[in-house]
Amino acid sequence: MRSTSWRAVLVCLATAVLAIGAAACGDDDNGDGGGGEQAGGGQDKVKTAIVLPCATSDPWCKQGFDAAKALESRGDIDLEVTTNAPQDTAGVTRVLAQYAQAGTQLLLAHSTWQDAAFDVAQQFPDVNIASYAFELRDNVAILEEPIYQSAYLAGMLAGGLTESNTIGGSAGQDVPLCHAELEAFEAGAKRINKQVRMIDTYIGDWNDSAKGKQATQAQIDQGADVVIACGGGPATGMAQAIKEAGISGFGYVGDMSSQAPENLVGSVMYNLEPYFEAAVKDVRNDTFRPAKRYEFGLADGGTDLRLNDRYSVKEIPADVMREMERVRDQIKSGDFEVPYEAGT
Amino acid sequence: MDWSEIFGPDALVVLLSSSVAFAMPTALAAVGETVAERAGVLNLGLEGMLLAGALVSFLVAYYLGSVALGTLAGVAIGVIVGALMAFLSVTLRTEQIINGIAIVLVAQGITLFTFEKLFGGEEQPTVAGIPDVEVPLLHSIPGVGPVLFEQNVLFYVSLALALAVCVLLARTRFGLSVSAVGESPAAAEAMAVSVARIRWLALLVCGGMAGLGGAVLVLGQLNVFEEDVSGGRGWIAIALVIFGRWKPLLVLGGAFLFGFTDALQIRVQAVSGGIASTVPTEIFGALPYVVTLVVMVAATVLAGRDAQPSALGTPFRKGVSA
Repeated sequence: MRSTSWRAVLVCLATAVLAIGAAACGDDDNGDGGGGEQAGGGQDKVKTAIVLPCATSDPWCKQGFDAAKALESRGDIDLEVTTNAPQDTAGVTRVLAQYAQAGTQLLLAHSTWQDAAFDVAQQFPDVNIASYAFELRDNVAILEEPIYQSAYLAGMLAGGLTESNTIGGSAGQDVPLCHAELEAFEAGAKRINKQVRMIDTYIGDWNDSAKGKQATQAQIDQGADVVIACGGGPATGMAQAIKEAGISGFGYVGDMSSQAPENLVGSVMYNLEPYFEAAVKDVRNDTFRPAKRYEFGLADGGTDLRLNDRYSVKEIPADVMREMERVRDQIKSGDFEVPYEAGT
Repeated sequence: MDWSEIFGPDALVVLLSSSVAFAMPTALAAVGETVAERAGVLNLGLEGMLLAGALVSFLVAYYLGSVALGTLAGVAIGVIVGALMAFLSVTLRTEQIINGIAIVLVAQGITLFTFEKLFGGEEQPTVAGIPDVEVPLLHSIPGVGPVLFEQNVLFYVSLALALAVCVLLARTRFGLSVSAVGESPAAAEAMAVSVARIRWLALLVCGGMAGLGGAVLVLGQLNVFEEDVSGGRGWIAIALVIFGRWKPLLVLGGAFLFGFTDALQIRVQAVSGGIASTVPTEIFGALPYVVTLVVMVAATVLAGRDAQPSALGTPFRKGVSA
């Protein structure tokens, strides 16, 4: 009996150490310790940390990571990065609090982490946080994601491309971001082609790509020949489904064209550089507070429809393309506003 | 809503063939888990074995360009993780629940770390898909043919292996030893059946099946690897073993039933118009769990007796009575 108990303790300890070690491996600190370099203009670099909920191979996290890196390489910020941060409030609060405690001036919390952000913002009144919250606090700013504007343009092309007059959209859950994206896609398609019918599916899971693929396949079986998705798993699954079925689709958030080079007409891009730039500038000029909503639409370079020149399923009708470009210019100049339907 | 778009003959064939294909990873893992639990080891590391199989099969297929080698590598890593579980649970006789959970955590950390180190910040890598093959003669059987015999090679191999494991448990000497070891290890040992050896073998089989499940998910269906690509299938498989009363064929059937209702709910949404539908989407999402639960509970009540292996979860020590 005695030998069992010490063995049990030993193995439990060993596995616990292994598990913690493996989890810690996910944290990737790319900080270079603040070498004290001065930026080109002689300004102090803003001490910034970005906390990502996934790996940088994920399109959502890659967009955040790339934007922060771009600011770092321009000498605007000193950057520290955590990838694969825990998804639960308690876990991510710890990660954010560590950075706040270390004197980070600007914390970019790149997920819907409102509770954790509020918690840390209260504990560390000096830190400035930008996250995907629903409410503002004095030192917690909101990052908006108006990708529905680009989805409208994608929808216009879809309206011109569809032969079955059936298009599809799948999303992880019915949240405002996705609801607005799918509604705008449908509205854009109907502007070009009044007969269009859209099938929407809510999968109930943000990460399960196999389920995402199944959802798109179900839409294809119902006749859909141009589709879009909202969410990492749904989008990856969608790309695989359209590749197999030989139909057309649009990528989500990042440029997904490598996943289905011949089938993706383009991708609805979310570009975080203007967001991070504005937040850094506000921190530097002491204008971050009271915190605001940062929103950069199509006109401000925060989102766009990036076309994929390897797309070869069908020829995009030239008049539809011209019309799409005309509407894009109208959105940019403020002459046209894409309707925002976020659902209930 | 037009129900013939779901249950009409043509639509039903499409629905069934896609649901059996998507259910396969869960089914393989569940059958493997049945073997382990029948031998008396509660293997909660199943999700980790699926993940490990998914990553390694993807990497081998990606770098060597061979789906066959990738699949073998997926099985091999599953067997290795199974061996780790066996070493901890059978040889060292430590707490099986903790071992299993530790394996899942380690697998989640290591797979993500490896993938991120290799591909982080780059475009998402993909591997080539495998084409569907019609099995001569069999595919022309009305109904069953198009559902089961117009799939890819990996599907046939998986189905054959899953059925083979069912036969192995029910009809062979090894299967009898597995049951003996799980029901009454002391009696089995007295009959010169080595409890440790049988439990080791059972865990290797379990790991191999789960590793194959991971390979099928990534190589047969998705052609990409992602963080937590297994999506909780390992945990669902463990639940299916319990609901399937530790009977491999019932477990296999349960896995397909779950896959069917899951595919059904997505299709009902597509046909009924998604957001436009009057039924909330959350109801569709709950459907697979509710249906599987009801059917399995009904099966248990009808069977009317306890089927759980008596020694499940208990480490065995020679010469010490339980």
